[in-house]
Amino acid sequence: MNILVFTKRVPATQEEEIRVIDDGKKVDLSKVPFKLNDWDNYAVEEAVRIAEKAGGSVAAVSMGDAESDEVLRRAIAMGASDGFLIEAATERQDPNGRATLALNFLRKQALPFDAIFTGVQAEDDQFGSMGGILAAKLGLPFASMVIGIDTFEKDHVIVRRELEGGLQERVKVSLPCVLAIQSGINEPRYVSIMGIRKASKVERKVFKAADFQEGAENMIEVERWTYPPTRGGATMIQGDADNICKELLGILKEKGVFQ
Amino acid sequence: MSVNTARVLTCIQCGKCTGSCPESGKTPFNVRMIMRKKQFGRAVEEAIPWYCTSCGACTLRCPRDVKPSEVIIDLRSALVEDGQVPNSIQKALENTFVQKNPWGRSRAKRGEWSEKLDIEIPHVSETQSKRLLLTCCIQAYDPRCMVIPANVARILRKGGLEFGVLGEEEACCGNEIRRIGETGLFEELMEENIATFREYGVREIIALSPHCMNTLRKEYGNLGIKVSHYSESVAAMISQGVLKPEGSYDKKVIYHDPCFLGKQNGVFDEPRSILKAVPGLEMLEFSRSRETSLCCEGGGGRMFYEAEGTYERNSVVRVNEAIERGADVLATSCPFCVMTLEDPATEKGLAVKEVSEILMEVLG
Repeated sequence: MNILVFTKRVPATQEEEIRVIDDGKKVDLSKVPFKLNDWDNYAVEEAVRIAEKAGGSVAAVSMGDAESDEVLRRAIAMGASDGFLIEAATERQDPNGRATLALNFLRKQALPFDAIFTGVQAEDDQFGSMGGILAAKLGLPFASMVIGIDTFEKDHVIVRRELEGGLQERVKVSLPCVLAIQSGINEPRYVSIMGIRKASKVERKVFKAADFQEGAENMIEVERWTYPPTRGGATMIQGDADNICKELLGILKEKGVFQ
Repeated sequence: MSVNTARVLTCIQCGKCTGSCPESGKTPFNVRMIMRKKQFGRAVEEAIPWYCTSCGACTLRCPRDVKPSEVIIDLRSALVEDGQVPNSIQKALENTFVQKNPWGRSRAKRGEWSEKLDIEIPHVSETQSKRLLLTCCIQAYDPRCMVIPANVARILRKGGLEFGVLGEEEACCGNEIRRIGETGLFEELMEENIATFREYGVREIIALSPHCMNTLRKEYGNLGIKVSHYSESVAAMISQGVLKPEGSYDKKVIYHDPCFLGKQNGVFDEPRSILKAVPGLEMLEFSRSRETSLCCEGGGGRMFYEAEGTYERNSVVRVNEAIERGADVLATSCPFCVMTLEDPATEKGLAVKEVSEILMEVLG
């Protein structure tokens, strides 16, 4: 089974205090480290596991600036055999734009594939729709929130999808298809620095995003970045430690949290 | 054949390694058996190497210089290259790759402890001495341990020693990363730190953690930079009369030797001399102290990994003995030891203090 996995380099923002700058036009990412989107990490791992079991190959594709090569090297270190970078000066977030760019790339390069994996969403924009839009544009079946791939045959896969209320749905999807992989589907392997160094020796092919722009207009325009409005409701307790503890205990008792 | 493999062939199976190992006997980890298996080219079960705490006792006691602790790092390295790493250790490695600290906290906040201090600490580049106070990841981020760099900075300032910090430019030293077997990541961290030291012309490093001191001193190569543990500087200040503990600390204090400070680097007397200089303090010793100090099980990546099994933790053994000997306070000079010992100690009502915390109380 030949699988293409779309991977995205995203800022690791969990521990950062994000600053909106330039009067809401930009988010300051100058000091934020970047990494492979968590969902894509699971998608690469799942693809590599399938290729290890059933044969075939895995190729990682990334759309972004030159630095995105980093996530391709990582995917290769995990077991992908190829890496394709669709390079643009700036990272594009619009899901329709990204999906159309991907579509044009796939058509022009005529890359053979049985399945395309994407992460359910990217940590930075969280649109969660690039996979679905791409499937629609390709005219291929699509399954989102995939939490298990139980069988993979020549012409179909049987996958489990995560639904609301703790339910799971088991569906048969014809190949070729697009699957959006949910985090937790597997335990991604550790990728060592030595492994990444070895992967650096595998050539990654670089394409210019400008060559695949046809129809890839953005449908969403970011007007401005804002912080969530601050809301009241927090009580600041003043005084020394003894008084703070007494008052806190009083409040917890009053609310019925502490007896 | 690698040097470590060649060394293993000289093992005479005397058993001094297993006899001194803090894990052998109570867990499935047996250093002598690992060496035997390596001699015969037999596989070592995957879970086994992760029990090692990198205390170094086996390597220090080996009469044939087999360096078993290095052989264990090799075993881990093979697992790391294969991607077979326990989840919690994997997380620590990935965090270190992204944020340059195993806890994955923001690198931009690494210097926050010094920015909130009541004294101003310059960047090392702004100092005459080019003397760097190296924070260490756990002390930069962990709320319990953040007090240690703050206190040491105040103490050094009182003693009139000029020093600076690197703030967010400091990266993890890699001591634990190397012992986890992630050689490539260790090299990257080392290269980054060395480049930073060179950029600012650092001439001396005072490490706040014995783990950082160990790797900087022994594994970074000859940088022409003097590396010491803060206890060495502070002990010297006290003996020279520059620092004068004046208050009274009427408590019985038992001192736990951290493996990376004591048995691996021979710093036994300096932390003790600091404690002995504290008025009113009565010093106690463990039955196993100095070279034979019992490892707290916080080293070698074990800070990030709970080994399988239901055996008694060494920290519990240590705390029980401290209480039996009548100690009011268990003192040590390593943040990892503080963390591992404090857990059972708090449960039993015993205070755990880093040496600098006690000194700070009597310096006023």
